[in-house]
Amino acid sequence: MKEFEMREAGQDRKMRAKVGVYVCECGPNIGGKIDLDRILSDLSGLDDYQDVELVVKKYGFLCSVPGKEFLEEEIKSNGFTHLVIGACSPRDHDSTFMSVCSKTDLNPYLYRIINIREHCSWVIDDKEKATEKAESYLRGGIARVLRQSELFEKPLDINPDVLVIGGGIAGMEAALSLSGEDRRVFLVEKTDRLGGVSLDLSGLLPGQGFVISKKIESIMEDRNIRLFLNTRIKAVIGFLGNFEIELVSEENAETTDIMAGAIVVATGCSLSEPGVSDHFSYEASDEVYTSLSVEKMFSGDEGVKLRSGEQPSSAALIHCVGREEKNYCSGICCSYMMKLAGLFKNQSSDIQITEFYRDICLPQKDDQERYKAAEAAGVTFIRIKDISIKGTDVSFEMMNGEKSKQSFDMVVLAPALKPSADTEELADLLTVPLDEFGFFQEVHKMTNPVGTSTDGVFIVGTAHGPKGVSDSMQFARASAGQILTRLIPGEQLIPEVKVTEILEAYCTGCGNCLEVCVYGAIYSDDSRGISVVNEAVCRGCGNCFGSCPSGALRTKHFTNTQLYQEVDEALR
Amino acid sequence: MPQTGNILVIGAGIAGMKASLMLAGASSKVYLVEKLPIIGGKVIKNEESFPNLECSTCMVAPIQQDVLQNPNIETLTYSTVEKIEGSAGDFSVVIRKKARYVSLTDCIGCGMCYEPCPVSLKNEWEENLINRKAIYVPCSGSLPNVPVIDSEHCLRLSCGEDCSLCAESCAFEAINLEDVDEVLEIDVDAVILATGSSTFDLSSIPDLGYGTLPGVYAPLEFERLFASNGPTFGSITLRDSDKVPGSIAVIHCVGRREQKYCSAVCCMYSFKFARFLKHKIPSVNVFNIYSDICVPGKNYQSFYKSVEGVDTEMLYTSSIADVSVSESGSGLKVAYPDAAGAMKELSVDMVILAAAIVPDDDVIELAKITGVNLDSRGFIATVHDGSGSMETSRKGVFVAGTAEGPKDIQNSVVQAESAAGQVMGIVTSEVSVS
Amino acid sequence: MEKSSEIEFTPAIVGFLCNWCTYAAADLAGSSKLELPPSFTVIRVMCSSRIDHNLLLSTFFKGADGILVAGCHPGDCHYGEGNYYARRRFALLKKVMETLDLAPDRLQLSWVSAAEGKRYAEVVNEFTKKITELGPNPIKNSTRF
Repeated sequence: MKEFEMREAGQDRKMRAKVGVYVCECGPNIGGKIDLDRILSDLSGLDDYQDVELVVKKYGFLCSVPGKEFLEEEIKSNGFTHLVIGACSPRDHDSTFMSVCSKTDLNPYLYRIINIREHCSWVIDDKEKATEKAESYLRGGIARVLRQSELFEKPLDINPDVLVIGGGIAGMEAALSLSGEDRRVFLVEKTDRLGGVSLDLSGLLPGQGFVISKKIESIMEDRNIRLFLNTRIKAVIGFLGNFEIELVSEENAETTDIMAGAIVVATGCSLSEPGVSDHFSYEASDEVYTSLSVEKMFSGDEGVKLRSGEQPSSAALIHCVGREEKNYCSGICCSYMMKLAGLFKNQSSDIQITEFYRDICLPQKDDQERYKAAEAAGVTFIRIKDISIKGTDVSFEMMNGEKSKQSFDMVVLAPALKPSADTEELADLLTVPLDEFGFFQEVHKMTNPVGTSTDGVFIVGTAHGPKGVSDSMQFARASAGQILTRLIPGEQLIPEVKVTEILEAYCTGCGNCLEVCVYGAIYSDDSRGISVVNEAVCRGCGNCFGSCPSGALRTKHFTNTQLYQEVDEALR
Repeated sequence: MPQTGNILVIGAGIAGMKASLMLAGASSKVYLVEKLPIIGGKVIKNEESFPNLECSTCMVAPIQQDVLQNPNIETLTYSTVEKIEGSAGDFSVVIRKKARYVSLTDCIGCGMCYEPCPVSLKNEWEENLINRKAIYVPCSGSLPNVPVIDSEHCLRLSCGEDCSLCAESCAFEAINLEDVDEVLEIDVDAVILATGSSTFDLSSIPDLGYGTLPGVYAPLEFERLFASNGPTFGSITLRDSDKVPGSIAVIHCVGRREQKYCSAVCCMYSFKFARFLKHKIPSVNVFNIYSDICVPGKNYQSFYKSVEGVDTEMLYTSSIADVSVSESGSGLKVAYPDAAGAMKELSVDMVILAAAIVPDDDVIELAKITGVNLDSRGFIATVHDGSGSMETSRKGVFVAGTAEGPKDIQNSVVQAESAAGQVMGIVTSEVSVS
Repeated sequence: MEKSSEIEFTPAIVGFLCNWCTYAAADLAGSSKLELPPSFTVIRVMCSSRIDHNLLLSTFFKGADGILVAGCHPGDCHYGEGNYYARRRFALLKKVMETLDLAPDRLQLSWVSAAEGKRYAEVVNEFTKKITELGPNPIKNSTRF
């Protein structure tokens, strides 16, 4: 009998190969379309495997409970070293038969399911041809399984603590959601105060001024939260469960090293400078304000005043400033401009407010009421195609082509939100890509919007993209949800098993693989001049394999040697 | 890992599946209850989802597989929750598992049983665009890939006729025509409501012709018409004919005025339809009739800009409420007021109505059973408004996805993740108490 | 250059399919009982980006008359952007094939989503037809290399 060497996870043993080949009849689905008895006799008499003991059997319905029990018993009593199942798609039952193997001494990676239903019996009408094809697939499977290696899960200890970067509304929400579940949180804020932009927006957010100050208070009192004000991130290394971070104080340049299992990025956004675009032009002047500066005036004691010190008797509110240029809609401006209109009307019911808009975008279900309230308060809404602002003179073209010009005491612009200044630098430190707009790029727009390609780094609030306060908080809580369900104190993480490895002897250290890895799972070991895979991060896609010019990579469980076995049988 | 707590998740759409997987991953036992015989929710009806037109099946099928194969998740399809009593950390739940008549463990989904069934009726899952048998899977690629017998239309189960053709055709003895409903009683620590939403009743605006003019389509009907696994394998042809439409109008904001909110997804799916149409039928003329464009989110405006003037002509109307659709020869006539208020007419072969997202019909009953409050629009209300919390008026009961209000896939997932995090709070405090 | 001469030529074609999209489409084609050519062999890989030049060229040297690599549509990759890389690597390999007197058409990259069971069958059948017309692989078991 042929002897196979197996080396994996420090084991080193030699054993004889005894391969079990079990073909599922799947009732008439396979049994009726393929001559299984012929396959059984053909495979049993295979010359190729004279030196390997083959046990070939068929069974009615292998995925049934008795089928699984039968298989388990067969593996145990025969002492198989390898197992091939001829049945259905691995998408249906790969995990079923892996679980069966796990109940025995057979390593689940020394088993292979061969899909002779979807690829043969269901798609080839001619029984003779279907039988030949199924036999060919099975032979490929036997040859392949003999080249497979044992693989083992490598559980990792984790650190359940969390670093939150940014003390604005989203960062505070994330910190409080986590500390509320007894997680230790390091909250790092670059300025000398918590609250972020939300402190200036108190009037924009009904009832939120109080909520924000209460949140700040809760954080100050929270024993689970260690707050670092005037602090920046200097260096980050690691991965989900194990990050090492170096913080640096802006005051005295002192550094602090901390360890955390996850990082929540809540660095917020800022208002963009109003720019000029095809359908919008303006000249800066004394009585032209941004929404945020007007907002600050409202939250002060004296309300909104003109530079002259007088209260305005008319104001133009200009929506969508920068939407065209930035190529995104911030999604919150319509709503807060209507809120501003309300504040103006509160200050003086006589004030003439005109809102110049392009589209009304009110994506929150409560927003529409604000619109109604503004209309009821006598605010004029004018839909425009084109607008140009000179001082406080507003010239505009309406949808019907009519052109007009009006003068106001003041003009308020709603500029688009933009990524905050440090975004790029932080993205570099965290090895998280930015999107086309300069915000942090989520790993999947729909199924994982708070995750990033560096697993363990989460993006929340407006660091992810323009959004309102309640969405920001929801993103923050979503990151907390991921952290609370994935990093559990005292538990371990089990990374992907079918990862890539780099064979040092062949690696030239060219770095191609590093470049193409979306997950940042490969790093360069300069002392050895090679690239190294961090198996805790690798997902096993194999993109690096395709990029390697020197054949130094091996995609475990999908090696070329293994795939060649399938190719050889296909071309026999 | 030791088991930590039991969770009930109602609704196996994207939000419910996501929350279930997260909690199961944290070693909770999850009971995922779905009223339909399959899981996946609304997303799997879309061939591609905006903003990046990603194949929905490729995106969701691995999630569905994970749910069905996760040992910590007990997926109860074709089931409804009948009672929830108790309080956070200690709910007792009664679930009715409707008789499926086909064994989930014995059936392998070969589909041999459909052929002999003599009954033929409209397939609701395929938006009635194709027929199905009384024993059927809602669509090809359904998960779990196990049929169900529609007892209301099965000759044997509804009329007592002596037909057992399906059972006779089954090689696995997986069909049990004597199957009965099963009532389960379980204890859970927390509940997540992820029951999704419905679309606006288009026939309530007779002027738009939905239900009377065959050329007028609801958005989900169009999604299925476009889907390569749908009733026409993705060829866009007019209802009950082989005719390929040469011109199509998409009317925006249908139901926004009536519902008093903007659903925030209709503009995007309307643009997506324009892209689909132009892609499949290059000579087609597409018109989007709109009064406001709502494209919040960082990739939406750019998608709109890539479609505007390229895949569709944008026609502004000063009043959506005054848009009407009528028959005109073999096609349709759309009348709408332009920017100046003057009525304009447009002849098209097909009209798609961008319907608002509205609360699911079953939500009132669900609210009664679960004891949660609804908001003024009929969606499930959260309590700590504006805090991002997904907790409902009943402690220990959370909501996620479009059951809480109209939203896109991204925000549904975000809510599911938030809710899962909040549930962890209940589960872990339970453990530390015990 | 190569030419098709044999009358009843059945090509041997290998399809490397990505686990997440096209393999799922093949399953769907199967459960829809669509007819597929027996000469087509499916080999499952996790991502189309996994396919390197070595594997493809060796497969040709070993005698494949055609190779189909199929994965998720651009933008839909389960691993973010693997299929973009696959596409670029293909462009290069096609150049190499020309120098080997191997018609570049013998190698095809297709995007087939998990929902496209019917399209999968069409792609496989059409590719098989194309390869049948191209005739046998001229470098099969070639000693030149």
